[in-house]
Amino acid sequence: MRTRTYRENYRELTELLPYRSSWNWYALLLAVLVSLPFMVPTYVMTYVTLILIAAVGAVGLNIVTGTAGLISLGHAGFLAIGAYTAGIAISTYGWPIPAAILAAGFVSAAASLLVGVPSLRLKGLYLAITTLAFSIIVVHLINQWEGLTGGSSGMPVGRPDFLGIPMRSPASMFYLTLVIAGLTVLGTLNLLRSRVGRAWAALRDYDTAASMMGINLVRYKLLAFAVSSFITGVAGSLMALNIRYLNTDSFELIVSIEAIAMIIVGGLGSVRGAILGATLITVLPDFSRYVLSLFGGALGSIASGNTAEIKGIIYALVIMLFLRFEPDGLAHQWNRTKRFWSDWPYSRK
Amino acid sequence: MKAPTPILSIRDLSKRFGGVQALSGVTVDIRQNEIASFIGPNGAGKTTIFNMICRIYDPTSGTISFNGKDLLRHRPHHLAGLGIGRTFQNLALFRHGTVVENLLVGMHAHLKSGVLDGALFLGRTAREEAQAREEVERIIEFLEIEEIRNQPVAMLPYGLQKRVELGRALATRPKLLLLDEMVSGMNQEETEDIARFVLDLRDELNMTVIMIEHDMNVVLDISDTVHVLNFGVPIASGTPAEVAGNPTVIEAYLGAAHA
Repeated sequence: MRTRTYRENYRELTELLPYRSSWNWYALLLAVLVSLPFMVPTYVMTYVTLILIAAVGAVGLNIVTGTAGLISLGHAGFLAIGAYTAGIAISTYGWPIPAAILAAGFVSAAASLLVGVPSLRLKGLYLAITTLAFSIIVVHLINQWEGLTGGSSGMPVGRPDFLGIPMRSPASMFYLTLVIAGLTVLGTLNLLRSRVGRAWAALRDYDTAASMMGINLVRYKLLAFAVSSFITGVAGSLMALNIRYLNTDSFELIVSIEAIAMIIVGGLGSVRGAILGATLITVLPDFSRYVLSLFGGALGSIASGNTAEIKGIIYALVIMLFLRFEPDGLAHQWNRTKRFWSDWPYSRK
Repeated sequence: MKAPTPILSIRDLSKRFGGVQALSGVTVDIRQNEIASFIGPNGAGKTTIFNMICRIYDPTSGTISFNGKDLLRHRPHHLAGLGIGRTFQNLALFRHGTVVENLLVGMHAHLKSGVLDGALFLGRTAREEAQAREEVERIIEFLEIEEIRNQPVAMLPYGLQKRVELGRALATRPKLLLLDEMVSGMNQEETEDIARFVLDLRDELNMTVIMIEHDMNVVLDISDTVHVLNFGVPIASGTPAEVAGNPTVIEAYLGAAHA
């Protein structure tokens, strides 16, 4: 049972983690992540890098769709804009990596205002279609604008040294991603517990009441799109750096669906949920393929030959099952489990 | 105690929705520090007046001024900053949040932190959040809802949700508070609590309160002035005693036979 939970002043009530002991657990998690390259084989570390990049993207999408309630099926578009911005900044203009990552965020955020403006009038399904159209237009634009993006033949992205630190190894990519993911998670958690985050949740739940509280709906909807796209653009830049070769195949519709699946599975509006969802959705297709291949024969060859189809089916199944049985997502399960153990032995089922 | 200049001045206010004349020619002055009530049968146009004060609707004609300022030049999200707070006829809480979170949203107009401040959560923002939390705690104490402060509002019984909504309106630090059918659906005890809170708000915090109310006991007991509407037309104004004895009002409420 957790004890010593009394607060003595108002500052303590507004802290990020309510209990001192929580910090120890997060410090432990961080220590494990930092020492990961020394403990596991490279392919596992590379896999964790993928999960962390997905988590950054999911945290970004979660701001606009989970917290502010504006459905976006177009986040593959922002991911693409971020990836290509970083790619062009590094390969064409020789920018250092941090500058390229920031540029990816800002260009993506600026582009989001194009989608944000219709979001002021459109809701639900209509907004979903508009954002979907946006991401398709982005992919076409990238393919057509060959001089800038390399068009359909793609674009190599280097990983130049930064301040004398070589960035070419998988370990340095892992650390870069870990730092960005850490900053994203911390920044988003802070944002969501302060004035701006509360305003987003308020306009999702009841927009008329929100405006009576002094929330400028136009401004905060655009802001939700901008911040969300900034983070997604940053995730895109990490993708570019990670795969080191860009073409538009990485930004098809399925990527937007994948992102939506992550935040639904994780729990809309929850940062922890977005991370859990990103982990599950990243691992699940590979895991299923592995399981199918165990059966050998026909199933095995289906598994190895139809990656995209298997992904699609799995996302559809997972989204439906979660919406039906656990609409609050993994974050809710997490809280229940945590409460069980922190109340133990007095916990009720 | 009563100041001569009105805090809210409504002149010739009319509203037409398509072919329906929801409100015609309403002229009302609300004095500083009074409790005023709008009464009238359903569809009399009471909530329409609130929605025009709150800038959700534009009037077809007429003017509204608040403390001498033309309210019609403002947008809904300016009202909290100007000092007008309101509760809604049907519950309009932010249902995913806890009581504390709902009240903190109410403080939005009086806090400053932007995206970067929030993401960094350094000195100024942390101080602002702690102060906001303290103010919210005072409202919680005033409304006697300490036990439920960390509960999600969607889980609360109706009467308490209404009380939280009152708290959220108070968090906007209103000079003028608009209460739309605050006690409807409440039991006797809950109703008496609300009446006591409204009197305290007026007497101790110097607020001006306008109520839309169907509960005649509350209206007649705590109002200083009562304005009666029928089918969008003002039919009487005065003290509770004057209005209660007015034959036109009795006719509107009970039918011609009783007049």
